[in-house]
Amino acid sequence: MAALLEVRNLSKRFASRAGREPSPWIIRDLSFSVADGEFLTIVGPSGGGKTTLLNMIAQIDTASGGEIVFQSKSAPLGDKTSLKPGLNCQIGYVTQEDNLLPWRTCLENVLFPLMAQGRLNDETRAHAQSLIRAVGLEGWEKHYPHELSGGMRKRTSLIRTLVYDPPVILMDEPFGAVDAQTRVQLQEDLLRLWNLGRKTIVFVTHDITEAIALADRTLVLTRQPSSVAGEHIITIPRPRDIRDILTHPEFVDLYRRIRAQVQ
Amino acid sequence: MTTAEQAATLPAEPDGIKWRHVMVRVGQIGLGLVFLWLWKWGANSAGESYIADPFKVWDRLIEIARTGELARHTYVTLRISAIGFAIGCAAGVVLPFALRRMPRLTDAIEPYIMASVGVPKYALIPLFILWFGINDAPKLWLIGLLVFYPVFISVFAGIRSVDGRLLDIARVLGASESRISVEVIWHAMLPFFFSGLKISVPRAVSAAIIAEFLVGFEGIGFYIENARQQMDVTGAFVGIAVAIALVLVMNALLVWIDKRLSAWRPMDRHMEL
Repeated sequence: MAALLEVRNLSKRFASRAGREPSPWIIRDLSFSVADGEFLTIVGPSGGGKTTLLNMIAQIDTASGGEIVFQSKSAPLGDKTSLKPGLNCQIGYVTQEDNLLPWRTCLENVLFPLMAQGRLNDETRAHAQSLIRAVGLEGWEKHYPHELSGGMRKRTSLIRTLVYDPPVILMDEPFGAVDAQTRVQLQEDLLRLWNLGRKTIVFVTHDITEAIALADRTLVLTRQPSSVAGEHIITIPRPRDIRDILTHPEFVDLYRRIRAQVQ
Repeated sequence: MTTAEQAATLPAEPDGIKWRHVMVRVGQIGLGLVFLWLWKWGANSAGESYIADPFKVWDRLIEIARTGELARHTYVTLRISAIGFAIGCAAGVVLPFALRRMPRLTDAIEPYIMASVGVPKYALIPLFILWFGINDAPKLWLIGLLVFYPVFISVFAGIRSVDGRLLDIARVLGASESRISVEVIWHAMLPFFFSGLKISVPRAVSAAIIAEFLVGFEGIGFYIENARQQMDVTGAFVGIAVAIALVLVMNALLVWIDKRLSAWRPMDRHMEL
């Protein structure tokens, strides 16, 4: 499969303040590629620059070195003003916090990207409604984010990105802050939706089980400065039952190998 | 019992809270009576040539309401404050939004704007009269400037306070900068804007009254000043009472608009000023 997204020798350090020694490298010479339609998960220790990596791919943060190639085109990552956040709606980004607009209801949040992109019509509205049904948010459309539970907000934030159908979706520990039961439900929702559309997903997590359960392939990152410590093809057949994944014989083996690489 | 039945048996508002509301109301009326009594006591002991009798103030109020004098002066003051307020408020909102897209220009002019806050605006009235003549213009300049600063500063701070991650995500989702201004920043800065407005509304009325002391033959300011010149203390007190009422009505209107615009906010309504 051809690489849709390629990260080449990417490096990042934040600007140091005057008079201080230079700030340390967060990411150093990180390279990997993502194939079209692939579900890639990235695991690594917390504070390992995973969010920074996604911010750079989404073009909301600059890189200090290296390049990111999307559809054979290299993006200028040098200074903040030349960045194109989301690369003209080609790259969706589900962040760690839900980042919903608090003054918009659940439905209005889901419709926001369509409205912003001038694509709000009967057809896209119906699509939004079907996504709301698909993740069980029916009846909550008119509620404001603060009136929704953590899991509902995550779902809203997820379908807000799915609704405009970007070819690549970045996810930054989107299910980190919810309880275990809700998390499994969200993972199942995500896999079901992914099965329908087969988008390219780059999913960052520190939970090894989650990384295996969702992925076609898992990358393990090192401690700071981040680089690739290992790569694992997940051969567990789909469709997968997330609740039973722990008992799968391949799972135990993969878990051990990945665990050994995550320091 | 099902949950619905349980919910039905729960009282919507516990009696304790209702009782507290009643107590607060009784306290408010009590304080009002104490204030009235102090006023009456002050008028009696200082003499009516210094402090007007509250009942005479009331009688005069009824009298000028009958003759139409009250409506005429109130209209004049209200009109000039409203126009001046609209001008100052519009400038105070538009300028920070325009500056948002020009960070370098902002850094360059910010110290000048902040320094000009210190200029005593009332001291400029003679100059305004010199420059713009004896008409509405000097009044509008004074009111506009006095309204502009609190609105500008609060909107400016409101725009700066917007969560950068919300802006980043809105951009990723395909929102243009002008759409972000309208859909994200406008809503996020509303609480700041309204706290600025709560300062500017009374300022607009005070500025109109002070301008009317000096310019014109109508308005609440003229009425107060005219009464003072005729040693009519009751008249001056009536003017002040009307001005207070005007500010209170405008503030109530503002609170009502604020509530409607920010119905989404998970906020403790008791905190309201």
